[in-house]
Amino acid sequence: MIPATEAVAPIAVIGLGNVLLGDDGFGPFVVELLRARWKFPATVALVDAGTPGLDLVTHLDGREVAILVDTVAATGAAGELRRYRGEELRRMPPKPRVSPHDPAVQEALGITELAGRGPREVLLLGVIPESRELGAGMTHSVRAAAAVAAALVVRELASYGAAPLLRPEPGDPDAWWRRERYRGTSGP
Amino acid sequence: MARITIDPITRIEGHLRIDAVVEGGEVQKAWASCSMWRGIETILRGRDPREAWLFTQRFCGVCTTVHAMASVRAVEDALGMEIPPNAQYIRNLILIAHALHDHIVHFYHLSALDWVDVTTIPQADPAKASAVAESLSEWPGNSRPEMTRVQNKVAGVLTSGQLGIFANGYWGHPAMKLSPEVNLLALAHYLQALDFQRKANQVVGILGGKTPHIQNLAVGGVMNAINLDSLAALNMDRLYMIKDLLDEVVLFVQQVYFPDACAIAGFYAEWFDIGAGVQNYLAVPDLPLNPASTTFDLPGGTIFDGNLDGVRRISGARDEYFRKGVVEDVTHAWYEGRGSQHPWKGETDPDYTDFQDEAKYSWVKAPRFDGKPMQVGPLSNVLVAYALQHELTRQWTDRALARVSAIAPHPITIDKLQSTMGRYLARAIRAAVLADLALRHWELLANNITTGDARSFQAPEFPKDAVEGVGVHEAPRGTLSHWVVAQDGVLSNYQAVVPTTWNASPRDEYDVPGPYEASLLKNPVANPEKPLEILRTVHSFDPCMACACHTLDVEGRTIATVQVL
Repeated sequence: MIPATEAVAPIAVIGLGNVLLGDDGFGPFVVELLRARWKFPATVALVDAGTPGLDLVTHLDGREVAILVDTVAATGAAGELRRYRGEELRRMPPKPRVSPHDPAVQEALGITELAGRGPREVLLLGVIPESRELGAGMTHSVRAAAAVAAALVVRELASYGAAPLLRPEPGDPDAWWRRERYRGTSGP
Repeated sequence: MARITIDPITRIEGHLRIDAVVEGGEVQKAWASCSMWRGIETILRGRDPREAWLFTQRFCGVCTTVHAMASVRAVEDALGMEIPPNAQYIRNLILIAHALHDHIVHFYHLSALDWVDVTTIPQADPAKASAVAESLSEWPGNSRPEMTRVQNKVAGVLTSGQLGIFANGYWGHPAMKLSPEVNLLALAHYLQALDFQRKANQVVGILGGKTPHIQNLAVGGVMNAINLDSLAALNMDRLYMIKDLLDEVVLFVQQVYFPDACAIAGFYAEWFDIGAGVQNYLAVPDLPLNPASTTFDLPGGTIFDGNLDGVRRISGARDEYFRKGVVEDVTHAWYEGRGSQHPWKGETDPDYTDFQDEAKYSWVKAPRFDGKPMQVGPLSNVLVAYALQHELTRQWTDRALARVSAIAPHPITIDKLQSTMGRYLARAIRAAVLADLALRHWELLANNITTGDARSFQAPEFPKDAVEGVGVHEAPRGTLSHWVVAQDGVLSNYQAVVPTTWNASPRDEYDVPGPYEASLLKNPVANPEKPLEILRTVHSFDPCMACACHTLDVEGRTIATVQVL
């Protein structure tokens, strides 16, 4: 019940994005895909962080390695994946924020670094989105990129000696927001 | 004359845009425009009301918990349900812990650098900074070595050429007025605050199963298994773990955040004369104490035209004064039609035009109460509670005003809270009140469990006929209400009137501006290229666009543009 182990795992794979806004749900979907297909060592935490704004700090705090999966506004075709290392992200200066929501990746990295508690290694895997319409689900091009992104995450983890094991009988990703029917609760 | 447009990421949804016409060093007219959820009912219509909260807590990545809570409350209200005392107390503890986390982050990490010029920190005398800090509070984190350590760290960043988080500040701006020593102590607390916002969040995680996106809610109560003898359930160990975390957070709020907010308010006392804007206030009662949610620890009510003596109480979500009072106007919003509708009847048919100053210019509908625009948030909460003689609120407010007045060049009275600085100070007052209530609700829960009551859930039953309900929550950013219509166990309408729609509201049918727009009038702007003062007033509301998507802009686009008219 207590997510304490998650808080101390030295490596975190963090999915960012809003699952209700079409392709913006890419990050959380990749996290669920990873969970369904691989079994991860205790050193790796998988986090569906949603759209945390500056609360991303909480998920970076005390980590050694952070792998972020997100959407990026870059020039290119929808579904293309881009990789950015920590050093590149640091060179992109944060902007004045009007609302706590504006994506605050650079700022969150800066704050944890200033506090001396930020991850030593950072990788951001971003997909170029096609549509962020409410409730529409992911487009084909972006959905197709999820498996590639998952494989890239696995390869990155392997480079830190934290490779997961492929599940012999992989399940479907538990993307509850795509379910048609309510599964119900029967009480605590 | 110049027109300033502050638009952090153009062409992407989920953001706030502010336009201001500046002449003679002051804002003459302002527009607030943002993209907000439009059409949440398209996702929820036809779904089971018992799972609506799972979806609504994804409205917003920062305020996940509050939308989950308002949703289950709305469905329970539609069913006329009572929920077990343990469920009320557990929910209340989650809400308080979330609010404390949120207020700490707002003050230090989201807005402090609007007031604190970090580039002066290398000139500070750490011994003097430590002495100033110790004169404000007994907090042990104010030692001279601590100040020296933080000063060296900041100096290192400033000389490294890579400013990181400091790259986007308006440093050296004429509106920055704190001494290097006060800037240093504020930044020391900014770093310490990271620990305590995390501890507050841990309480949410322990009770909610996970954070963000808590898992323990249900229409009818909570899914926490309570058993003092079980290792897996909510037992004494876990209760004490929560207590330890709360104790630490309470201490930080009352010994660091509260004194810092009072001190900064005192040094910037001129901001008590700026940014009053709309002086109508709305707050709903919260922290229910009984299963029927008819008695509360925090009162709600309305105040009009800044007149505290005319306060009118809202007794709860079932109060007809509240239920009938809320409408949303679409005259200046990108939806079809003009005029207003009650949320249960609300429709959301998009009608996008360009940004048109005199016509439609925002995705936010304009909520009105009794036909009036209302300010919501900690200031409304504090003013309403103060006017209704709420003891705890009066104690902390009077303490705050005394502290501010000791520093400010002239005494600051309760009326001066109706201002930009008043919104910052009220948030600190509310946090201090909530800190006291955190411990009270922990005791209520622990004592109730100790009597042998382990109930936490009551299964809901849905009638064939249509039922309507409203769930309210006095969230960190103010009054939140979810409005549901369900028939035969299926949702047929769902509208959320979120705090930021009240505050960021566009003009209405009668051309009356919303709170952001009104508060920016006469706001000083020393340099239109660096509109720091506009950000201060906008940030005082703690804006939250309840619809954020999260696309990182990797190619760096313009943020503030100035057009000479």
